[in-house]
Amino acid sequence: MLELGPMLRALMRNKIGALLIALQIALTLTIMVNAIFMMIERSAQMARPSGLDETNTFYLTNTVFAPDYNLQAALAQDLQRIRETPGVVAATQINAIPLSGGGWSMSLQNKAGDDIDGTGVAVYMVDEQGVDALGVELIAGENFAPSDIIWRDEAATEWPDKIIITKAMAEAMFDGDWNKALGQTLYINNHEPMRIVGIIKTLQAPWNGWDKVENAMLVPQQLDGRNSRFFIRTEPGRRDALMPQLEKALAESDKGRIIRSVKTMEQTRADSYREDQATYRILFTVIVVLTLITGFGIVGLAMFSINRRTRQIGTRRALGASQWQIMRYFMLENLLISTAGVVLGVAGAIGLNIWLVSSFAMKPLTPGLLIVGCFALLAVGQLAVSYPALIAARISPATATRGRA
Amino acid sequence: MLSMKHITKSFATDNVVTHALREINLDLAEGDFVSVTGPSGSGKTTFLNIAGLLESATAGEYWLDGEDISKLDDKGRSRMRNQKIGFIFQSFNLIPDLNLFDNVDVPLRYRGFNAAERKKRIEFHLEQVGLASRMKHLPSQLSGGQQQRVAIARALATSPRFLLADEPTGNLDSSMAQSVMALLEEINRAGTTILMVTHDNTLAAQAKRQIYIKDGRVQEITDNRNIHNLAVG
Repeated sequence: MLELGPMLRALMRNKIGALLIALQIALTLTIMVNAIFMMIERSAQMARPSGLDETNTFYLTNTVFAPDYNLQAALAQDLQRIRETPGVVAATQINAIPLSGGGWSMSLQNKAGDDIDGTGVAVYMVDEQGVDALGVELIAGENFAPSDIIWRDEAATEWPDKIIITKAMAEAMFDGDWNKALGQTLYINNHEPMRIVGIIKTLQAPWNGWDKVENAMLVPQQLDGRNSRFFIRTEPGRRDALMPQLEKALAESDKGRIIRSVKTMEQTRADSYREDQATYRILFTVIVVLTLITGFGIVGLAMFSINRRTRQIGTRRALGASQWQIMRYFMLENLLISTAGVVLGVAGAIGLNIWLVSSFAMKPLTPGLLIVGCFALLAVGQLAVSYPALIAARISPATATRGRA
Repeated sequence: MLSMKHITKSFATDNVVTHALREINLDLAEGDFVSVTGPSGSGKTTFLNIAGLLESATAGEYWLDGEDISKLDDKGRSRMRNQKIGFIFQSFNLIPDLNLFDNVDVPLRYRGFNAAERKKRIEFHLEQVGLASRMKHLPSQLSGGQQQRVAIARALATSPRFLLADEPTGNLDSSMAQSVMALLEEINRAGTTILMVTHDNTLAAQAKRQIYIKDGRVQEITDNRNIHNLAVG
């Protein structure tokens, strides 16, 4: 028969130790649930697809230092050299690299006019091989034709009249229905029209923490600056071999520039999420350490309590308690303390989450996670107390008559 | 009621085997009141522990109320202690965090009685020992004699056939000791068999029979009803 009533009354008369453990459990739950929630959020953020064929793509930077250099001719020649290399699927010159942290953004609006709110969009200047080189999926419309591509010098402010946008951008501009977007005109710089000729499924912006990271557009332009990037997609399995090969070939073909920053998209993604990965690991460590501390705290309190109550346990055994009933007593006592801690912890977790939501724009906790957290901590409590409870159960009933108090 | 044949208890360390009890033979009939005396270290407590199923004998046969104790596992021994035996300890062994009601309730919960039955028994036995008005008190709020009375109420609450008392008056002054002894005699008159370990020869003499243990052996059994000695081989 359970002894909840007497146990509660006994706990209330001897509450400091139990209260401290309950508070520790509450604190652990408060931090653990929010930390796990942040980990889940980070994990989901890191798992978002960039839209690129990350496994088979890389890029390199071409920096020209020679004076009197024919940039357009040299860039065209480089592209041709890259594209003719066996194993290269497609290559394009590009102004920015997705997830790299640096790039261009503009604002697009549905109507021309000075006082109309626009929607932010990342800009990728590519040529007719841009879609293939990035490995993005064109889900509607058409790719740029070679004739669409125009040169743009670094000081230029004009924009081409055709664009390819992401599905997310299309939904942002057309009331959530990307199907309405194809053929429509958007405006850049308040008045310059751009007709949507294609929709791509996904292409992330260079900034992974941007709330509009899925908003991106391709424009048919080629920069003729002294710093340029080539984005290259290879046949599966050939990327790693082609990276040094192309770097060397380009470097040797023209001594008026240097080739640097040869980097895969996989490396770029890893760099982009390095902080998130570190935060993830720190949070994980905090959770593990906190849970261990709580577990050890429970073990410590239970052991202390058992040592203090050895005679009492022996007496209970003498009065007819089986080993299981003694074990159950301590496990039940822990369950009561843990439950009190968990109740306090739920309030604490919600409170902390409200503060995090208001201070750091975090999302509100899901009830499911809170419930899982509660059960997890109750399980930790039961696991932690099981060994001390087993020791208590093994106390001989003869202890009741040994040693005179 | 209780029958011990050739009960031996020894403790072995790496080099030494210590015999706490040797060849104990004893029969207790229903309604007996037997006191056990002997010098310190004579084996009285070990004898009581074995009789009360608090520890096992190394060898020998022990039958209690028709059951062969050696055949019982821990659960069976716990059940026997709860159902057949009541314990009274020298230090009372009340649980300090529980009030009197909850203390007497402890063995009743292990017995599995329902709440109404438990309440009835607790109130009856606390009334019997004259402490019904102090049910909500903690043991620390009572005198030693009163605490021992609570322990007696707890021992009686499960209606045991056999009451084991380990120095029940050892921590009490003489008037309280007499009062507790009177209570034990009353309980015995009501039919409960009692085995009492004591240092006090005066109290021991109040039992129907006296057993004297020395060096782990029963040296003498005195029948106070007929006042004659039986030699024990």
